[in-house]
Amino acid sequence: MDYALQQLLNALAFGAEYSLVALGLAVVFSIMGLVNFAHGEIIGVSAYSVFLAAALGLTSPIVAVLLAVAAAALAAVTFERVAFRPVRYAPTTTGLLTAFGVSIVVQNLFMLLISPKPQSVSILNGLNQMWFFGPFAVSSLQVMELVVSGLTILALVLFLNKSTLGLAIRAASRDFATVRLMGIRANRVIATAFAISGALAGIAAVFILARRGSVSPDLGFGLVLKAFVACVIGGFGSLAGAAAGGMLLGFIEVGLLVALPQEYGGFKDALTYVIIVALLVYRPEGLLGQRVELGDKEI
Amino acid sequence: MSENAEIIAARPSGAATGVGNGRFGRSLVGGLVTALPVVVIGFAILAFAPAYYTHLALAAFVNLIVVVGLQVFMGNSNIANLGHSAFVGIGAYGVAVLSTPLAMKQLSIPNAPFGLALVELNPLVAALLALCVVAIIAAISGKIISRLSGVAATIVSLALLIIVHSVFLNWTDLFKGNQAFFGIPKVINLPAMLVASVVVIVIARLFKDSRWGLQLRASAQSPQAAAAFGIDARRLRLVAWVLSALICGLAGVLFAYFAGTISPKLFYFQQIFMTLAMLILGGMATVTGAVTGVIVLSIGLEFIRSIESGVTIAGIQLPQLLGLSGVALGVVIVLCMAFRPGGISGRLELDEQLSRLFRRNAR
Amino acid sequence: MLTVENLSVRYGAVAAVRDLSLEIGRGELVALLGPNGAGKSSTINALTGLVTPTAGRIIFDGKDISRTRTEDRIRGGLTSTPEGRHIFANLTVGENLRLGAATRRDPKGVRADTDRFLTLFPVLSERYTQAAGTLSGGEQQMLAISRSLMSRPKLLLLDEPSLGLAPRIVAQIFDFIGQLKTEGLTLLVVEQNATQALRFADRVYVVSSGALRYDGPPAKLADEHGLLNLYLGG
Repeated sequence: MDYALQQLLNALAFGAEYSLVALGLAVVFSIMGLVNFAHGEIIGVSAYSVFLAAALGLTSPIVAVLLAVAAAALAAVTFERVAFRPVRYAPTTTGLLTAFGVSIVVQNLFMLLISPKPQSVSILNGLNQMWFFGPFAVSSLQVMELVVSGLTILALVLFLNKSTLGLAIRAASRDFATVRLMGIRANRVIATAFAISGALAGIAAVFILARRGSVSPDLGFGLVLKAFVACVIGGFGSLAGAAAGGMLLGFIEVGLLVALPQEYGGFKDALTYVIIVALLVYRPEGLLGQRVELGDKEI
Repeated sequence: MSENAEIIAARPSGAATGVGNGRFGRSLVGGLVTALPVVVIGFAILAFAPAYYTHLALAAFVNLIVVVGLQVFMGNSNIANLGHSAFVGIGAYGVAVLSTPLAMKQLSIPNAPFGLALVELNPLVAALLALCVVAIIAAISGKIISRLSGVAATIVSLALLIIVHSVFLNWTDLFKGNQAFFGIPKVINLPAMLVASVVVIVIARLFKDSRWGLQLRASAQSPQAAAAFGIDARRLRLVAWVLSALICGLAGVLFAYFAGTISPKLFYFQQIFMTLAMLILGGMATVTGAVTGVIVLSIGLEFIRSIESGVTIAGIQLPQLLGLSGVALGVVIVLCMAFRPGGISGRLELDEQLSRLFRRNAR
Repeated sequence: MLTVENLSVRYGAVAAVRDLSLEIGRGELVALLGPNGAGKSSTINALTGLVTPTAGRIIFDGKDISRTRTEDRIRGGLTSTPEGRHIFANLTVGENLRLGAATRRDPKGVRADTDRFLTLFPVLSERYTQAAGTLSGGEQQMLAISRSLMSRPKLLLLDEPSLGLAPRIVAQIFDFIGQLKTEGLTLLVVEQNATQALRFADRVYVVSSGALRYDGPPAKLADEHGLLNLYLGG
């Protein structure tokens, strides 16, 4: 029972992390059709910012957390302004490849300007402790991940449903031109979406740093690939789909970890992807996606 | 050709569409013209360059074949493929496992499953078998990918890459995992690589100008119109995917046969970044673009790599700048997409550009 | 209030609008009529800035807005209800109206306006929390126009308000448009359906193939039998 509970918690925690990252991707994709491959590097910028701040003498974990989120949001908005704006109205493939290019540049800049080797970051280690509730030992980090993710998603939902800018973002996912006809500035809508996307990534970065205690140039890359896959199984472009896909991915991964015998552990990633692809075969539009036929009328 | 003209020309109405010897011949000539710069460079290297450059050239030619393979799918279907290195790897490891001499195998993979440790095939046979494996995996993955929308297809191609890489890395009994798989017979030299490059370029051109290629491009541009004409976009994407995979697999086979040693990380993101940048810079839409991109970036990267490893300028020793080539590659992609999405060669093949030039001068 | 000088819009090789000039005075309702493909929607899109003209000037409320961004034109008081309505299908009726008022800073006024439209169109009130995509065509049109009016524009461009709607609903919509005119709003109504558009028009422009064919009072248009037969449906 103990073991099962622990694994459930694992699955939830990983799922929450994937959901956060996947949501960040989905927010941007839903309004601009941009597949932001550079999202992982936003996580990287966030993590390296904490590393640099710690190297410069920062000791407060709280400030580190705030810095991580702020740096990520800033990085996201900057990427948009510098690299994505010129290709804003270009076809999806162009945007995707641009983002891929940005990802390559930034990863290599980390290698060039800091170091290709992992750097230790211990400032957030305090978040990763064991808490004891009677006979149960629980990782504080996992509990925090769940709570924070839940609150963040709640905040996001509130923002998207109650604030004008949030409504504008939702409207823009269907009809950007008409949003402009309301007098709402396109740049503001897009910058806000990217800032949200960045903030979500920053929160994920905090958890990753707390768990790993180190940062490396490819920190975000592998995670973002999985997040993309989560978006796709959830139904690309749908925010709920991204969150659901992320959770599902967490459960699949932990499930595989539990089910696979030790010597095949290395295949966990490959098998995860195989399962995802199988899901896609069964349901190409994703779990929560809608099958769009050519020529469908907009509902 | 205007978009509608292309679709009408591509209609599957049998012999009347003009798929006659005329078009095939023109395409063949076009392919040879496109391959001409490659041949010229190849001969120049054979005749004049020292041994060090021969090795570089071989690597560049492998890239060339990979990029041409990538172009076959991406240029015609307009879908970003980020997993082609998987097929390069399958081709390479296929021949590695099948044709490495038994003595070597006893050392590297004594516990290989299916009795493969006791198998040593003639390089040509091994190559053909490896390509068969490539074809099978391409057919399966292609069936899945051709059903998906552009973005989902791209991400599944990534998934394929990661799955294949993971298998190479973790199935140590067969693939030696992280360690280099050495001892592959080195049976390919520059002339053979040159011939292979030309053949691949011509095939790519033939496909692009064929009815299939035209129909695929038409359906990429306007899916509804193409479907109304009865064009089966899915099947065409599958064909392009498998052809692309086979070409990439061939590149892997040739690479293994000239390098003699391979390891999984050669067929992972480094290669994806580089070949993608080459194709984008040269121009996705044409085979000429693939060729151009490879030539330009191969030379450019060599230059940057020499700076990367620390060069001495005017007596000052510059430090190692690891990652500089990566930054350069990324910047190339970003700038290209922003300012010249069509790449250097745009929409016209080399022979088409030349004939335009001649026509203009003739007036 | 609005002066358009020598407007030209091209899409690649196709000239959608050719050297069009028109004027709308304060408080007028001007009709822009013409058959399908005449360039009417292109004109409206050029006026709101969603499309960049290849030539010409647009002067609104005394200011040259030819290079102003769409969002700023809207904030300046010029807005349009696009062809096909373009309500935000995934948002509720209420949320659509709220976005229409996005540029306003007076919550009391916004509430008053919202109540006004909900009273005027009871069906919007009934469906206030429903997704706008589930409304019928006529209801969507009422919503779209209300939404445009939420920003209290000085000039409203209506692009084919009758498109795809049953005649009875069209009459209702135009009743409403007439009422807007009596309240002093300046309007440009673009239509294929001439009959309704001519009910309240002070002046009429007729375009076809991107060029102006007639400019004058609606009464005189009835005399131009050639025009009526060739260019205008009913």
